[in-house]
Parts: sequence; C-alpha cells; structure tokens
Amino acid sequence: MPLLRADQLSKRYGELVAVDRVSLEVREGEIYGLLGPNGAGKTTTISMVCGLLKPDGGSVLIDGRDFWVNPQGARRIMGVVPQEVALYEELSGRENLEFWGRMAGLTSRDAHRRADELLAALSLADRARDQVKKYSGGMRRRINLGCALLHRPRLLLLDEPTVGIDPQARLNILEFIRGLVQGGTAILYTTHYLEEAETLCHRIGIIDHGRVLAEGTLPELQRRLGDARLFVMEGRFDGVAPDTWPGFHEQFHVIQQSERQLVVSAVGERDPADCLKQLLALPVQLENVTLKRPSLNDVFLQLTGRELRE
Amino acid sequence: MLRTLLAKDLRRAWRNPVPWLISLGVPFVITALIGLAFGPASSGGGVGRIKLGLVDEDDSTLTRFLRGGLNQQEAGKYLEPHFLTRTEALAQINANKLAAVVIIPAGFTRDYLTANRPVKLELVKNPAQSIHPAMVEEMLATLVTGLNAISRNLQVDFPEWRTVFNGDQDTDLRTVGRLLENAGDRLHAARDYLPPLVTYGKETLPGQKSSWLGGGVVGGIFAYIQVGMAAMFLLFMADNAMRGLYREVRFHTLARFRTLHDGLGVFIAGKVIVALVIVAIGAVILLGGAALIFQFQWRHPGLLALLVIGYALFGAGLMGFIAALAGEERHADRLNNLAIMILALAGGCMFPPEQFGAFMRDHVTPLMPTGWFVLAARGLQFGGADPAWLGAVLKLGVLGLILIAASALLFRRRLEKGAR
Repeated sequence: MPLLRADQLSKRYGELVAVDRVSLEVREGEIYGLLGPNGAGKTTTISMVCGLLKPDGGSVLIDGRDFWVNPQGARRIMGVVPQEVALYEELSGRENLEFWGRMAGLTSRDAHRRADELLAALSLADRARDQVKKYSGGMRRRINLGCALLHRPRLLLLDEPTVGIDPQARLNILEFIRGLVQGGTAILYTTHYLEEAETLCHRIGIIDHGRVLAEGTLPELQRRLGDARLFVMEGRFDGVAPDTWPGFHEQFHVIQQSERQLVVSAVGERDPADCLKQLLALPVQLENVTLKRPSLNDVFLQLTGRELRE
Repeated sequence: MLRTLLAKDLRRAWRNPVPWLISLGVPFVITALIGLAFGPASSGGGVGRIKLGLVDEDDSTLTRFLRGGLNQQEAGKYLEPHFLTRTEALAQINANKLAAVVIIPAGFTRDYLTANRPVKLELVKNPAQSIHPAMVEEMLATLVTGLNAISRNLQVDFPEWRTVFNGDQDTDLRTVGRLLENAGDRLHAARDYLPPLVTYGKETLPGQKSSWLGGGVVGGIFAYIQVGMAAMFLLFMADNAMRGLYREVRFHTLARFRTLHDGLGVFIAGKVIVALVIVAIGAVILLGGAALIFQFQWRHPGLLALLVIGYALFGAGLMGFIAALAGEERHADRLNNLAIMILALAGGCMFPPEQFGAFMRDHVTPLMPTGWFVLAARGLQFGGADPAWLGAVLKLGVLGLILIAASALLFRRRLEKGAR
C-alpha cells in the first residue's frame, strides 16, 4: 500500500487552473520526483497533499486514510520542507530545530536529543549556536530540511529543497536524502532540475500547466521516445514540413523542430544505420547528423514542445 | 505549546529588540514631549502664562476691583493681563500677540448690582491658538457663573453696595462693615447648600509631596487629554505587536506551523499574549509616565489596569481580525490606520464627546470600544469610582475574545484558499 496516494487533485484560482486532476503514489523507501518548470503546479500539489491548501477536487490518502478525515493524524507521519527557507533568523540553528521539534509534539528533552543527532547528520554541529541569519544559503537549506525531520516522519514532502545553493551544498543535501530513503522514508520530491530527477528519483512524474503528462521510472520515460536513439539533424529547416515527405511519418516521430535543428526518433526497433541512410536521403540539405540516448529533457521536450530550461 | 511559542517570540525580541524599542519608544517620546512643553519643567510653569487682553469699558469701582484681581497671586501665575482699549486689543489679537481679549461692557456694574438680568462679558478668542483661548473661555464661564450666584444670594443688600461702589455718598465704614457682616452671615447659613462650583485648591495627601496638578484645572486637562491619547496610541501598539503575524506569513514559518497543526488558535493566542504584554508596557509608559511628568495621581490604578487589559484584548483582537480580513499586509496597513483614526475620533479620544453633535454623541460614540475605554478611564479619574468601568472592562474583554476567535477562523480559511 502506498504511503501517499493523491487521486485526481485539482485546484483552481479564478480562471487559472493551477492543478488539473493530478494523481500520484509514493511508497515507503521510494523517492517520487515531480519534475516541471516554475509555475507548473508542483508547489500547489504539495500544498494540497500536506493540507496547507484545500483541494477543489480529488482526495489525498495518507497511509490509506483520507487526509481530511484525520488531518492531525496524517500530519504526525508527515514532514514538510517548504521551498522557501522557513526559519526564525534571530534564533540559532539548534533553537530552530528544538522549536520545530516541540511544535511537532516532542518533549523538550527529546527535541534536544534529536536536534543533536540532526546537527551532526547535517554537518552543522560546529555552527549550532550561531544565529541562522549568519548562515550561508546551503546551511540554511540544511537546517530547513532538518526542521522537518525532528519527529522522524515516514513521509517527507520536499519542495525544491536545493533551489539557489551551490553545487557542493546541493550534493550534500542529496546525499542526506538518499540516506533517509535507505531508512525507509517515502519522499515526494519536486524539482525543476533534470539531473536531480534523473539521479535521485526512483519514479518521476512530469508536470506542466497543472497536469501530469507522463509518469514512470527514467527508463520507462525514455522508452516513450522509441526505446532507441534520437537523431539530431542540423541544417536549414525553416519552412520545411517533414509530414509531407513520402513515408517519413510512418518511420519517424518528430521530437523537436527549429530553424536549425530537427530531432526525431525511429518508430519501432530498427537498425540505426538504416535509419541514418533514410535520413540522409531526405530532400533537405543536412550539415550534420548525430545519434544520442534520449534524456529526460528530450522526454519533456516531446511532451510539452519546449525545453525544461526555457 | 503556548509556552514554547511565547518563549520563541521573547527570544526573538531579545535578539532583535529594535522594532520593539521603537514601538515602546514612540509613546515614551510623545509623553516626554508633552511633559517638556507643558509640564512643570517648562519655563512658564504648566502651560505658561496666558496673554490676556482686558478692555474695561465700564470703568467702575467693581471692574477696577476685578482688574486688580487679575494680577494677584494665583491669577498672576497663570495670567499675563494687558489693559487696553478695544481697538488696541483687537489689533494685538490680529497680530497673534494675545490669546484672548475679555471686554467688560459699559453698564456691567449696574447690571450686576441691580441683578435685573445676568451680567455679560465679551470674549474674543484668538483663532490662531487653541489651548489658551479655551482655558480663558472656561475660566470666564466660571467667573460669570460665580458672579451670578453671588448676585442672586446677596441681592437684598445690592442697592447699598451700589451706593458704596458709585461713591454717591461719603464712604461710611460702619455701613460697609454691616454689609460685609450680612454677606458673611448669608454665606455661612447657605454653606451646606452652596458648594463651590469650582475649587482651585490643591489637595496634598499625607506623606506625599504637594503636586503641581493635583486636581487643578491645568492638571485635569492634561490627565483628561492623556487618557484619549493613550487610547489611540495603545491601538497603534497593539497593531505593531500583531504584525508578528504578518512576519510569520512572510517568512513562511506560519505555513510550516500549519503543516504540523490543524488550527491556528494557539498560534494566534501566542501573538495576542505578546500584544497584551506590549500594550500593558505601553500603558505604563503612557499613563504612568504622564502621571509622573505632570505630577498627578491616578485615583484607581488597579481598576485602570483592569481597564487597560480589557482594552489590550480588544486592540489585539481588532488588529488580528483586520489582518485576517485584509488578507494582504499592504491592505491591512491602510485599514489599520483608518480604523484607528476613526475609532479615536468617534470614541472621544481626541475631543470630549460632550462637544460632539447629538447624533454622534448619542448614537455613535456609545458604540465605540475606544469610547468605552476613554469614558470609563476618565470616569475613574474625574468622576470618582464610577461603576461604568466594570461594564467597559467586560464589554472590551468579550469583544476582544470574539474578534480573536473570528480572526483565527478567518485567517485559517483564507490561508487554506491560498491567500498570502
């Protein structure tokens, strides 16, 4: 049974549909990545899952029970790391940890002990007494993460926890998260970084304009592009309509087309050399053709018609 | 949990005291400024001597007697009389050299001693000044009332007094002595029925220093004003204290709290307690500080403290409710200031409600929580132990609690809908 199951979640702000019938499941010991650009509906989805927002439609089941039937019970097994650093800057890292531990229902002694553990695990023990306002961005992010872990949640919701920090700090946080998953924690992880989704998440949902467009493991998503390679052709493609080329439509999918580039994948399992011959014979002047394995960005490109970085 | 929330807020305030010091410093500075301007440290003693023009168009023995009295002891402390003609006096008023001009019209003594009709004095107030002309007007009204009272009671002897004042015959000291004796007998007989309208005496409580203001007209005015000012500034302080809510929203800590707890009651209660403490400290500064500076005493400090607690509860509830109602901080900013100014004006904080129009006085001010506080506090100070204070405390407290509960519910609903 999944620890988190969101079914047909919807949220609307006036005319704007922020989240449109989003469904997902997260199991114990699994990281589910919700990948999408800014404004795709990731934070709104997480906000509905943790009860910050009431959905206009759909349901959230936590450990098999409807969130809104017993919200306090659901919150007890859940930890939320908001996208923004939600800390008291005047307090020290330890004080923040202990305060949020107390808010999560720990006794003063337990909060103190747990803060010790987390400060050590997050490599912040030597700066524990410093006020948070004196911390670097990476240190703040680490304490921000730690504040959600005081009560040892079984389900962790991480909303872009590595935004705006340097690569080294990001690696530290990702490593820490991998450790949590090994302990059996279920994690819903939103991000707009492709490499994070590719390297960290067991399953990935691609979200854009409030809708989950595709979902699966990285290989499953890559197979959507033909389980093979992509052919990247460079040349002059302005005014060119590939669908009008005889037989092309039956042999290839167009992934992306611009003035200077045409990216296609082969239909079915075919020999790349045969595909290459066919492409070189097309009635268009080619300057270069390369083969590559499809990336998550290519999947996103195929699903949305634009790159995630745009 | 409430204790943890309060400890967190106190710790944050201790680490970053500047906003709180500013919040508490503003009423302190205002009280100190008023004290410097009007308190005993000011060179003129209190509000300074009032520059008063006196035009004596009657020029009788009685009016000369009155003129002479203006320079005597107590009057001389507060008044700086200038004896002028009507033209000169009006010219000096226009030049803003006088606060007011009192004109004793021709026939004043005759009217007074015949007691056929009430005496009249003309008063021209300087429109460019506010406090001094108002004080002259009050003093003049008291003088005229007193003169009328004397006239009605000593009317029988007035024909003889008139001859004495007019100098119609050589002054007979026996006659004057008899007249004075008669006047003394009448006043003595009527002493239980004719309490003085206004006293200027100073009351010194045993073991305490003589106070500058103790019950005097000037002290009364500033104690009276201070209650209204305090009512308004305490609301501003409650507003500032409740701004902690906005900061919690802005820094996303409220959102984090909501990921751990369903309701906002405890969270809002924590902010309300902080607001209560801040308003209570502010009240000590504003009301206690004023009493020190102006050297008067609050007659019922315990009851006043209860009244302040009720008022603080109302203030915190109101500001929390506006925060929930406005949704956004910038909207709440405008609403708060507007609400405080309206409540202060309509509640009689800035002007005595007795001077309002009938509709305002009878139908609006009684509905204003600021009015409940101000009227009850003034009642305690000036009208003895007015039982109205208890009703005011209860009304303020209950309204405050209702507003706090409403703000918690409204806030939660707004946040659940995605308000930031």
